[in-house]
Formats: sequence, structure tokens, C-alpha cells
Amino acid sequence: MMVSAIRSGDEQAMAELYSRYSGVIYSVALRVLGETAAAEDVLQEVFMQLWRNPDAFDASRGSLAGWLAVIARNRAIDALRKRRPEVDIDDVVVSCEPDMARGADWSRALDKIRGALTSMPPLQRAALDMAFFEGLSHTEIAEKTGEPLGTIKTRIRTGLLALRKVLNP
Amino acid sequence: MSVHEQFADDILLYALGELTSAQRAELEKHLQTCVDCRHDLEQLRGDMALLALSATGAEPPLRSRERLMSAIAKEPRRAQLVQRPQPQRRVWWRPFAWAAGAAAAIVIMLLLHQNANLQRSIAGLEADSTVQQQQLTQAKDMMASLTSADAEHFILVGSKTPPQPQGKAIYVRRSGTLVFLANNMPALPPQKAYELWLIPTAGAPIPAGVFKPGASGNATVINPPLPAGIEAKTFAITVEPEAGSAVPTSQPIMVAAQS
Repeated sequence: MMVSAIRSGDEQAMAELYSRYSGVIYSVALRVLGETAAAEDVLQEVFMQLWRNPDAFDASRGSLAGWLAVIARNRAIDALRKRRPEVDIDDVVVSCEPDMARGADWSRALDKIRGALTSMPPLQRAALDMAFFEGLSHTEIAEKTGEPLGTIKTRIRTGLLALRKVLNP
Repeated sequence: MSVHEQFADDILLYALGELTSAQRAELEKHLQTCVDCRHDLEQLRGDMALLALSATGAEPPLRSRERLMSAIAKEPRRAQLVQRPQPQRRVWWRPFAWAAGAAAAIVIMLLLHQNANLQRSIAGLEADSTVQQQQLTQAKDMMASLTSADAEHFILVGSKTPPQPQGKAIYVRRSGTLVFLANNMPALPPQKAYELWLIPTAGAPIPAGVFKPGASGNATVINPPLPAGIEAKTFAITVEPEAGSAVPTSQPIMVAAQS
């Protein structure tokens, strides 16, 4: 596996890993930061962290694509808030089964996820976007939408659960 | 869903990176001992991964690949573990079992001796750790005193000189750590704030914290998010909108000279 090769300092394995997963990291960072230069910085930072600490990823607990996507989102939000990373990548375990970087399975899964998001009530989708991609707190979302805090919390949690059920009905 | 409903909200906020450091520390303590809540957190992060993956589609520019591979080539290489082939098991020693027994006894004595040495080393390390813990506590107490709201600041100036704005930045390049203390800062116009900038020896100024002085004109900036390893040419302060700016939008009102 490529991550194993990286442990022994194999630069070619890193290049292959980049080919496969750079689009995932860059897309997520760009969605959060809305700026290509800042997204490139996050891309660089995430791959350098993986190069320096490949043991941070535990293949037995989930897919590399899912793990990198969450790490990229968190680092992009840190950059957006101009703060230091809060949680070390060693401590981020992501339960995400399919390794969805490329291929037909990935395309089908992506269609299902995007379909679920499209069919979600607009207010729920907006709450998810604001919390996840814009880095707004629940309180900020409640103030922005004029809705009770409890409603926002419920919308976000049930929205995430709805995505889980798409791939694990 | 978690069996600990009282933690469910906090786990979601933790996964999204919304908890304060105190709340985070408290939850992390609970997570260390609660398998169910850890499972809940991992599942939520899995859901977040799906949401994140829904954003895929963009591809980075080619220069990003070159930048990464060039940075990796400059990194110190990790020691590669070389696995030596294991020799075949042989049974030639069986007639000399007595010799093997004697050798085992010698090895055991050596191990016991080594164990005693290790015990002494551990005791030494524990003593060092205690000293370092005390030094850390003293440093924390010092920092708490410096940044305390009721700390009194005294600045000695010439008797006829009115107090001038003054800032002191203490910067550790290796770790990107910065402590900044300011005194006698003039009051700001409405909806404005001071922004501290790290001016690197090469490249654009880097935001190093936004601050508003109190009524007495004092302010502190402790450990703003800075990348490690940036060589600072100097530090400067500009007046910016309250939310801060990514690049300076006004002329510096103060520039540091390294002491």
C-alpha cells in the first residue's frame, strides 16, 4: 500500500498518492476558503503532514480519501479562522468505509451523496453548508437564520445522519 | 447514536472544531475512557467525510505537485528499516544443551544488570521531569501574571516626556511562538482595531493578531496562528477594520527595531 511505502521514505509512492488524492484535498480546501492560493497551501500542508507522519492514518479504521477529506476541511477552517490546528492528525479517526478516490464505485457513491444533498430541505442543506464549509458556529447560524439554536443543532445532526444512510441504508 | 446523550451535542461540536479549549480538554478526557462516544465521534467524522467528498471536482494546478515534491526532497530522510533475512533454524546445538543452559544463565545475569541500570535511568528521568514540570508551572504563572487584567504596568520615562506608545514582541522563530505586549496605545476610531504584522525577510507581511487596547492603552497578543520557521525582519502595527485584514491596508504606525 502507498502509505506503507511512504513510511520507508518512498518519494515515488508520495507522487502516486498525490495523483490520486490531491483533487480531494484541493477541492475541499477551495470550497471552504474560496481562494486558489490558500487552497494550494492547505493541500501542501496536508501532504507534508502525511509525509512526516504516515502512521497518523490508521487504514483499519476507514478510507484514506475520507480521512484526507476531513483533515483538509479542518485545516481549511483553521486557516479561515486564522488559528492554530486544534486537533492533531494522529487523533482524527474517520469511520468512512469505501475508498472513494476514483473509479466507478466512487462515481456511484458521489452521485448518491450529491442526490441526498439536493433532495434535502433547503434550510437543512444551508445549515450543513454553513457549519461545515463556512465554519460558522451553531450560534452564528441561529443568529443568521433567525431560528432557535436547538433547531439548528437538530438540522445539522439529522442532515449528517441522512448522508450516512445513503451509503448504509 | 451515543449512549451518553449528555455528550452528543459536544461530540458534534468537537467534530466541527467549535469547542473552546477547556470544553475540548474535558471531552477528550471523557473520550479516552468511553468507547461508545469515540465510536459516535468516528461515525460523525465519517458523515462529515461524505459531505466533504461531495465538494470534489476541482484539480490543483500543476505547480502544486512540483512544490510538494520539491519540499519533500528537502526534508531529512527517515531512517529506512532494513529487514535482514532470518537464518534457518538449525538443531546442531542440541548435543550441547548444557552449554546453552550456561549461556542462558549468563544472559539472564546480564539482563538483570541492565534492568538495574534502566531503573536508575528511569529514576533520573523522573527527577528531570519533576524539575521541568516545576519550570513549566513557573512559566505559566509568569504568563498569567503578565496577561492578568489586574496587573499593574509601570513604564519609566524621562520626567518631562509624555508616555509614548510602546510595543514589545517576543518571537521564537523555530516554533512560530509570539508574545506581544503593548502600552500607551492611542484610542482607536470606531470599528477599527490594531493589527500586528510579522514582516518576513522575504515575502509579504503575515497577520500576527488583531487587538484593541483597554482603557489604559494596554494590550497583549499571545500565540497568534503563525507558521513555524519564518525569519522575521521586523514587526509592525497598522490600523485595520475590526475583523482584521489579510494584507495591510494602511501605513504602519509602529515598526519594531530588534533589541
